[in-house]
Amino acid sequence: MNKLKKSLALIATLAIASSAFVACGDDSSSSSTADAGSSSTAESSAEGGDSSTGEEGGESSTADTPVERPDNKVASTDDKLTVLCWTGDDLNNMFKVFADNNDKGYTTDNLVFEKVGGGGEEARDQYPTYFNSGKDVDLFVLEADWIKDYIDKDDLTAPLTDLGFAEADFDNGYEYVKKIGTNDAGVIKGSSWQATPGGYVYRTDIAEEVFGAKTPEEFQQYVDNWEVFTESAAKVKEQKNMAMVDTLGGLWQVWSYKRTSAWADDSYNLVIDDYCKEYADLAKEYYDKGYVTKAEQWKTWDKAVQNGETMGIFQCTWCFGKNGTLSSLEGNTKTEDDATEWTVDGPFGSNWAFTQGPSGWAWGGSWLALSPKANSGEIAHDFVEFFTINAETMRKYAEYSGDFVNSPAAMKAIVDAGTNKNAYIGGQDQYGIFYEAAANIKMDNVTRYDSVLKKYFSDNISKYVQGAYSSTDEAIDGFKKDVKANVPDLAVS
Amino acid sequence: MSYAKYGYIFILPFFVIYFIFMLYPLVDTFIVSFKGNGLGPGVIARHESQRDWVGLASYKNILYKSGANHEQFLDSLKNTVIIWVGNFLPQISLSLLLAVWFTDMRVKMPGKGFFKVVMYLPNIITAASVAALFYTLFGGEYGVLNTIIDPKNASLWLGPADVWRARILVMFIQIWMWFGNTMIMLMSGIQGINESLFEAAEIDGANSSQTFWRITFPLLKTIMVYTLLTSMIGGLQMFDIPFMLSGNNNGHVNNEYIKTVACFIYEKFKGTENDMMYGVAGAASVILFFITSILGALVFYVQRDKDAIEKNRKRKEAMKEAKRRAKGGGFSI
Repeated sequence: MNKLKKSLALIATLAIASSAFVACGDDSSSSSTADAGSSSTAESSAEGGDSSTGEEGGESSTADTPVERPDNKVASTDDKLTVLCWTGDDLNNMFKVFADNNDKGYTTDNLVFEKVGGGGEEARDQYPTYFNSGKDVDLFVLEADWIKDYIDKDDLTAPLTDLGFAEADFDNGYEYVKKIGTNDAGVIKGSSWQATPGGYVYRTDIAEEVFGAKTPEEFQQYVDNWEVFTESAAKVKEQKNMAMVDTLGGLWQVWSYKRTSAWADDSYNLVIDDYCKEYADLAKEYYDKGYVTKAEQWKTWDKAVQNGETMGIFQCTWCFGKNGTLSSLEGNTKTEDDATEWTVDGPFGSNWAFTQGPSGWAWGGSWLALSPKANSGEIAHDFVEFFTINAETMRKYAEYSGDFVNSPAAMKAIVDAGTNKNAYIGGQDQYGIFYEAAANIKMDNVTRYDSVLKKYFSDNISKYVQGAYSSTDEAIDGFKKDVKANVPDLAVS
Repeated sequence: MSYAKYGYIFILPFFVIYFIFMLYPLVDTFIVSFKGNGLGPGVIARHESQRDWVGLASYKNILYKSGANHEQFLDSLKNTVIIWVGNFLPQISLSLLLAVWFTDMRVKMPGKGFFKVVMYLPNIITAASVAALFYTLFGGEYGVLNTIIDPKNASLWLGPADVWRARILVMFIQIWMWFGNTMIMLMSGIQGINESLFEAAEIDGANSSQTFWRITFPLLKTIMVYTLLTSMIGGLQMFDIPFMLSGNNNGHVNNEYIKTVACFIYEKFKGTENDMMYGVAGAASVILFFITSILGALVFYVQRDKDAIEKNRKRKEAMKEAKRRAKGGGFSI
């Protein structure tokens, strides 16, 4: 009897122990996503087939026009455009501009914003669940870092040409933006309303005191490349006991665009070159010597700025906008209606100016993608055209929101007009610098492992500067280990 | 007509729930551990996907020294053991001390019931709330203590380079959450001991420590083994507190020194498109299962009642002897 009790207890123990497995979900959910998705693709393409035969789509393709546009294959059974995103900051501005400036009589009632997730990465995880819920979805917003998770999958995104665009229509925008929105098979699945080059916002009082530079043009020579930038950082630290850069995250963002080779080569080997060591050394030097504050990007950076810990901030196009990050600094407020009249009354007043900085870079950006389940084809077409193709309407949006739109023509028009004055940087026109910077952004070496690899690399560098590793080599070994353990596709030597 | 079938109907819900939510995932974990790593639908995988059988590849990945996840797994196992030992020993000592005090008739403490309730309370709060509470005190950007120690350095406590502060924090939280529970359990164990033994000890002039070591402690062994076992199983599966304190939305734990095996499993399972590893997560779960089972069996073996076994053996021998004698005696009726 005693033995029986004991073995019963043992079995009970094992049963409790076995609950360790409960959290480990099964893989069936993802395959069911695939099923649901592919069946819906089949449906929508069948619908598309119907409508194109109904409207004799064959004829237009034989016509000898300069730009051949296919018919809009997406059904137009719903006059409400539903756009999914994790934030309404951009979309609400876009809806307002679209409702005010379209010639087809759409109002804000035709536009629905659905919030999915609390941030970009949450949205990435939650979109598929939303798609499977059967709720309405026409367009949704993707971020540069994980856009490839979506555009390579035909069950999640449909080609934008399905809306009746020709591929050449997207050539009006920046090339790098188009490249990011194009999938491995060469199909355009994402188009952005913005380009996101970045630059360096700095305190004019410090620049004048330490360097005697009165204008951004004069100051640029002290930050023109990384060697000079580091020298200047040393000077600022010595004379004012201030950092040169607000956060390590910002420093990394700029550096991530400096890489000239791909992170993985054609035979799927992880590429570790001098660049990695160079950045690790630089980050360590900046952190140890106090050239960069210990604040966290988008978390405590504003405190560091407000406390006067740093002379400058790396900021990009969307930081200057109506709801941009600069507006979150204490004292900087935005007015609801008139986009050009912000009040700036921070601890340093309007002692800020803007220059290109040591190297060209960009920061993220958002892309519009078309869901295979879309049923508002007409308005979706108009919306995408309004914000990502038509230079005239894009210019209107830029003027309203302060964003930098994905149209060199529109931006050039604004720069040439010389009317743009950004309150955060003492009335300087940020577009001029961005316009020049945007032309130089290259996206030649993108692999689909980039976001994961960059994450592991920057994680290991932050560990290194905070003292978890004792040398650059150890930090790079840590990076290699992470890649080896987590990215089974790549070989690590 | 038998009434027995009603019995079966009444216990049916348990088995249905058990098969769906416990047994099926359990079996499926074994299956998953023999399959490839995950990749979302539609992408051409360079490695085997979660639908392909890969045999023991994931186990080799973890257990072989050349395996890609070998070091990570060992590190997380080490963390788990350190954190568990560091929380169990102080916890059981504290609980035992309190349990003895609360049950000792000679200790006249007003408001015993109140203290018991207060000490049990942390266990009622969900782990998520507890973690949120401690994160507010020790965590990154707005953590109270980080702000006091070095306001400019948000990642001092629980940052990636923080080894012992982070571990001790997790140990402390575990102790704080569970000592009340353990105390109640030990108290019920002590109250189950025959009162007359304590009285006899008192009459014989035993002092408190003698009473504790000669009477309470040996008779409490069974309940201690139970506590050890449940705590060990819970400890090896520890996930909520470390993850809530330091995990991010990619499933990674920022502070590697509190990354337990369960966190490792979740990290492998979650991932983004290019680093989901269902196979490895499954294999690690199965390995953890066997580690837990073996340790559990070991505890049972070490703590088995040797006297009872000996008695049992003797009784059987005596019976055999008696039978033999009876046969040898040649009586047959």
